[in-house]
Amino acid sequence: MTEGDKYDIRLFSPDDVYFSRGQGGVFQGIVEGKPYEELEVYRAFPFLYTTQYISIRNVKGEELGIVPDLKDLYEESATELERELQLRYFMPRVTRVESVKQKSDLWMWELQTHLGATRMVMRNLHEYMQYPGGGRVILTDISGKRCEIVDWRELDAHSRKQLEEVL
Amino acid sequence: MSTQDQLPDVLKNQLTAELLFSAKTDLLQDGRFGEQWLAVTEQEIVVWKQDRTQLLRQPIANLKDARAVSGIGGGTLLADTGSGPVVLARYTAAQSPVFGFAAKLLGAIAKDEERPVFSEREMPRSCPSCGNPLAEGTQICQVCTHNGKVAARMLRYTKPYKLQMVVAACLLITTTLVELVPPYLTKVIIDDVLGPKDIGSTLLYVVLGLGATMLLMSVMQTIRGLIGVWVGSKLMGDLRKDVYSSLMRLSLAFFDRRQTSQFIGRVNSDSEAMRQFMTDGVVFMSAEGLRIIAIFIIMFGLDWQLTLYAILPVPVMVAVSMTIWPKIGRRWYQQWRSIFRLNTLVGDSLQGIRVVKAFGREGDELSRYGEANVDVVRRNIRMEGLWSFMFPAFAFIAGLGTLLIWYNGGSKVLQDNMQLGVLMALIAYLGMLFGPLQWISQMISWASNAMAAAHRVFEIMDTPSDVPDVWNPAAIGVIRGDVVFERVTYGYEKHHPVLKDVNLKVQAGEMIGLVGHSGAGKSTFINLICRFYDTDEGAIRIDGTDLRDISQIDLRKQIGVVLQETFLFDGTIAENIAYSKPDATPLDIMRAAKIANAHDFIVRLPDGYDTRVGERGHKLSGGEKQRVAIARAIIHDPRILILDEATASVDTETERQIQEAISRLVKGRTTFAIAHRLSTLRNADRLVVLDRGKIVEVGTHEQLLEREDGAYRKLVDAQKELSKIKGVEG
Repeated sequence: MTEGDKYDIRLFSPDDVYFSRGQGGVFQGIVEGKPYEELEVYRAFPFLYTTQYISIRNVKGEELGIVPDLKDLYEESATELERELQLRYFMPRVTRVESVKQKSDLWMWELQTHLGATRMVMRNLHEYMQYPGGGRVILTDISGKRCEIVDWRELDAHSRKQLEEVL
Repeated sequence: MSTQDQLPDVLKNQLTAELLFSAKTDLLQDGRFGEQWLAVTEQEIVVWKQDRTQLLRQPIANLKDARAVSGIGGGTLLADTGSGPVVLARYTAAQSPVFGFAAKLLGAIAKDEERPVFSEREMPRSCPSCGNPLAEGTQICQVCTHNGKVAARMLRYTKPYKLQMVVAACLLITTTLVELVPPYLTKVIIDDVLGPKDIGSTLLYVVLGLGATMLLMSVMQTIRGLIGVWVGSKLMGDLRKDVYSSLMRLSLAFFDRRQTSQFIGRVNSDSEAMRQFMTDGVVFMSAEGLRIIAIFIIMFGLDWQLTLYAILPVPVMVAVSMTIWPKIGRRWYQQWRSIFRLNTLVGDSLQGIRVVKAFGREGDELSRYGEANVDVVRRNIRMEGLWSFMFPAFAFIAGLGTLLIWYNGGSKVLQDNMQLGVLMALIAYLGMLFGPLQWISQMISWASNAMAAAHRVFEIMDTPSDVPDVWNPAAIGVIRGDVVFERVTYGYEKHHPVLKDVNLKVQAGEMIGLVGHSGAGKSTFINLICRFYDTDEGAIRIDGTDLRDISQIDLRKQIGVVLQETFLFDGTIAENIAYSKPDATPLDIMRAAKIANAHDFIVRLPDGYDTRVGERGHKLSGGEKQRVAIARAIIHDPRILILDEATASVDTETERQIQEAISRLVKGRTTFAIAHRLSTLRNADRLVVLDRGKIVEVGTHEQLLEREDGAYRKLVDAQKELSKIKGVEG
């Protein structure tokens, strides 16, 4: 990398990067010919562009560059990167809302997600629900666990009914 | 050794050595929800899958270090081994403290260091009885706390006003009973006077009786009202005082994690909600309850068959109330949320009005407001709509009962089975009965509102302070000012230390400059000296006494601070300077101001030392405020002085004046100073360079500059570079 690049965003082309998973289950790869036994991934726009603008960083957290779009990468790299994103950004997609109840002062959500069933506990709704736009809802619970409703309008009737009073 | 969750025996038996630590994850290796067990012994790390088969065994001998890598909403426990990093466990955010500890423990084992001890704070904060996570800063599970208990605790506030409450209750009972007299007297008039056309004096007596009861009722209601207002206001006062004093007692860490603005609402509106419930609510409920019972007794006495008709709609009304109530609660909350959004929006754009105007975005702000406004309107209509449906519906259902009585009672009267007066009395009582029933929902609303408020208020009151005072604090008197940091580690979140293993000895009277990049831990360093937070590990000693053994009042008496953001309280300049020493004489104040280079500009102000500053007062410039703050520190006469970027936001001339003032101030005091401009620290006896929470260099300005590759040298060079650029620009 030349000195002049230092203040510019480095965008990776598919040939610059190769991602894989190490024996210990750790995300690793070769970036611009240099092997890294551990890499970290960050979404620059976690709400708006979940598969675009992925920042690739070394263990110290220094940015090596940005993958503009996951789908442009070679298949193996893309799969591994997507998996790592899912692990790092633990955000199960809600497939069904079983119930939303208010007990004492807490809101209890029983949810089915693509990663299994879970329960979320919120202190209130106005601080723990975010609406990034469209029908998308991000739920955060007291412990910091997050779930995402991709589009609440597309959930089944039961779920919509549960959500009706809280959205 | 400490274990977080009990490792099942089946798994424990598979271990070859003594168990050091075990924990249950809540995610599987591939990131799905599920449970895995992790166990650590002196020889190996074992992870079991959900079906209790072994997933991996990692010999300790091969372990170099371990890390808890936090992601978003979860994290990963990684082991650095001879053959590269290995994923040990994945977990959601709820478990991160536990695995943060696991990483620390594994690191210590691998490097053969002293093992950390598992502490309360690393426990996942969940309620022991129901398993639901607890809110930060509280040990009270909100799911388990019974509303009953909260209500009882709330009612305890009425204790000092027992006598008044008893009088009010007696008055209440009598008014309720007296209220029942008029319909009965009406019956007497119709049946015994008007019916038989009794021309005697009975009519006059009965009417006089009616008048007397009316007068009595009015008088009693007035007295009751007065008592209510009196007790209510007193209660409010008590509650507010308690909430506020609990707030003042709490440590800074508590406020760091919360928006402070919410407390303004809590102190006022929550205590109001509780007051409303305790005075109006309780009185209202018991009055109406009593009235309902009394009415039924009389009605049964008059004609029990007809009374049964009257009761018919009651279950319907109760059922409707019960089903509709939760809906109302949620809609009410929805409405509140949309208003909340609207308010935040207004607050936001008004605070940033300069930016809005500068970029010419008024239109966008307007349309953003418009959208939120439409939402509020929509919710309002929905909510009010529900109400306007509720009341007529209740009135109608109640009316049905009346119709039944009219019809059946009417036929009875026609058949001469019943006297007209009895029918009239029944109808009148029925009307009185449905009044309170219609208000059932209102009562539930009050009660639940008050409960929610009480929960919030008691939460504050029950939160233990993070920096508790010891029972028998060491008497320190006037200290010399030796400060010692002994292996101090601290993190705002425990698994993420901001200061790591800091050791430093400072002699009394020494001036220490703290240097480092932003985020290096300079401010944290200073916060620890003030004991805004307690160290996680290690200790800070002043004159050999642990900070934790000194009462906070004594400690603060010895410490003076001048911060970057100077906060002046609402009051005069003189009051602000004398903030820490209310008995200071005008001369003291002027002397302090003189030393602080503030005297001249203050006297030149039209109102001099009596100039009002703060929120509503005169606007002082940054440098002027700073000098007032320095004067405040001078009059405080602390042994330990803390200067946090005291000259950050002022021009060179003002900086010179402040510098001058500071150099007079630091004389003979132990001083810790943070400054952005390194040149301002040239007077310091020693400079301490912090990097990523560790002390990397200590020495005088000259000593440190001599180190070719030193961290301080780099900082100084970087700043020279910057000032060159600035010089060109300027």
